[in-house]
Amino acid sequence: MLGGSTSFRLAALYTAGFSIAVAVLGLIAMLSTRGALIQEFDSRLRADQVPVIDGWNQSGLRGLLREMGEASAGPGALMYGVQAENGAPIQGPLANLRAPNGVSTVLGTIDGKPESLRVLTVDLGGRYRLLSGDKAGPIEALSRKVLGGFGLAFAGLLVIGIVAGFALSRAVQKRLDAISDAAEAIIDGDLGRRIPVRRGDDDLSRLAATINRMLDRIGGLMDSLRQVTSDVAHDLRTPLNRLRQRLERSARQAEDPAHRAEIEGALRDVDAILVTFAALLRISEVEAGARRAAFRPIDLQALVRTVAEDFAPAAEDTDHRLEFQPGPPAWIEGDAELLTQMTVNLVENALRHTPKGCTVRLSTSVEPGAASLVVVDNGPGVTEAERGRLFDRFYRLERSRSTPGSGLGLAMVQAVARLHRGEARLSDGMPGLKAKVVFPVTS
Amino acid sequence: MKLLLVEDDQEAAAYLKHALEEAGHAVEHADEGREGLLAAASNPFDVIILDRMLPEMDGLAILRTIRAARVRTPVLLLTALDGIDDRVEGLDAGADDYLVKPFAFVELLARINALARRPPPQEVVTALQVGDLRVDLLKRSVTRASVRIDLQPREFQLLEFLMRHAGRVVTRTMLLEGIWNFNFEPQTNIVETHMSRLRAKIDRGHPRELIHTVRGSGYMMHEPA
Repeated sequence: MLGGSTSFRLAALYTAGFSIAVAVLGLIAMLSTRGALIQEFDSRLRADQVPVIDGWNQSGLRGLLREMGEASAGPGALMYGVQAENGAPIQGPLANLRAPNGVSTVLGTIDGKPESLRVLTVDLGGRYRLLSGDKAGPIEALSRKVLGGFGLAFAGLLVIGIVAGFALSRAVQKRLDAISDAAEAIIDGDLGRRIPVRRGDDDLSRLAATINRMLDRIGGLMDSLRQVTSDVAHDLRTPLNRLRQRLERSARQAEDPAHRAEIEGALRDVDAILVTFAALLRISEVEAGARRAAFRPIDLQALVRTVAEDFAPAAEDTDHRLEFQPGPPAWIEGDAELLTQMTVNLVENALRHTPKGCTVRLSTSVEPGAASLVVVDNGPGVTEAERGRLFDRFYRLERSRSTPGSGLGLAMVQAVARLHRGEARLSDGMPGLKAKVVFPVTS
Repeated sequence: MKLLLVEDDQEAAAYLKHALEEAGHAVEHADEGREGLLAAASNPFDVIILDRMLPEMDGLAILRTIRAARVRTPVLLLTALDGIDDRVEGLDAGADDYLVKPFAFVELLARINALARRPPPQEVVTALQVGDLRVDLLKRSVTRASVRIDLQPREFQLLEFLMRHAGRVVTRTMLLEGIWNFNFEPQTNIVETHMSRLRAKIDRGHPRELIHTVRGSGYMMHEPA
């Protein structure tokens, strides 16, 4: 769950980056502390050796031993040792040590205990070697202390980072959830819903306010679209109403039957215009999606069965067979009136565009997460290229131009399917046309 | 019948008034909302025909006001809006029926007649009779001249609808809305196909028909004269 949260990922990344920086910083601090301590130690070794070497220069081995005795007395003094050129010990605690000339860190034994020693070895005239040095332990201990301090800081940072990351991501997630909840509600048709804006002026509040402004604008556009649609409806219907009334009145007053039949033909034309007009407005209304708020549970199976029963006699009258294959109940959330109209359109489409003697089969099925409706006929079918365009408004097959129909039936089917978050698809029914509408089912 | 027509389109109103009077009704016309409201509240009418879109005061507001004043006169709403929500809104405001403009005059006339002589809602009818045709609504059985007739569920509904409106014209659209709940125009003649099957079962073999076709309007059930 948290892996999918951007803010948690960011916090984790930030914590990891910061921790690595602290670790590197700790290592550098430890190395430079150690370097500085060693440098200081080495210069002390050289400085303290100066009087001892002076003793050698003035009075040979005797002077050397005398100065060495003086130098090693007192608190905090270095340890010394003199050995012959071949390494045989002569005097001093470091006389047994094997060390190359110059400064080196070697392992030795002091008071019977093994110790790491930092030693300066000087060759005296090729006959003797003078060693002076001290335990290197304190340097290593201090370096370890520095490293330990940084390690503690590293661990603390990691804990604080993780805890803060959780807290931060939860707080941000809560606000993002509020935005996505509002968006879902709007998709479901609650167009008045807005994202809650918290007091304060942070980026998320500004984002919420911007989205709300955008929603206001979309709402305004939808309102004006609705207003235009209803104005068009009103402004077209009022003159059409008068036209229809005039024709009706003329038909009544017409004495000549031929004249009367002509006027009645005109009335039928007006009514056909009105049917197309109503269908167009209905499709726009469905596409606007505002009807989702009125959804309730519907058994698609029972609804389709009713349509099949209602249209079976009419199918029989045109020498078709309309069959319904019973199945289990198929519950979906929807609008019964629109789903009925969708099914009717599919059935009428199949009946109108197949020749006499054909069979139209209706069935519903339930799959995990989906319920579907299938209408399949055994007529001549439709080529793949044309199938893709059948859902377009006013698209009609070349061979169907002479049959009655508005070319809006399947456009309405797709609009209703999409209102229900479903999809209508046409495929080869082998041999006829197969229309399948799949609806998602949330359990 | 005494009718109140509230309609702002003068020409349409004049035609409707004339045609309704020709059909034997007394029509009072109000061309503006307030006037209509006053008339509706002060005089008894059998049916009020109310245009939904009026200047100044909207038809729905008038409807709500007269319903709030407990005027129970049946109201037929005329409208240029036929969205699904518009219809629901109109019926919720207290309209008894809803007719989308433009409409055939016979459709309006049939609906006015259907509204005017509706039995009071509290009256429970358990049996219907027209001539020698009897329908028992509880047992859902149909007999004509004491011979039992078996009907499909839709045919039974159709018969019940016709019998409840006996003596009055029932239009195709009224049947589509009342029985099938279709508020759209199907391209198939499902009313005609069901009706012809019903007529075959009810009237075949009887010297006098009970179900009559009214040319250009719809159907009517009535006793043989």
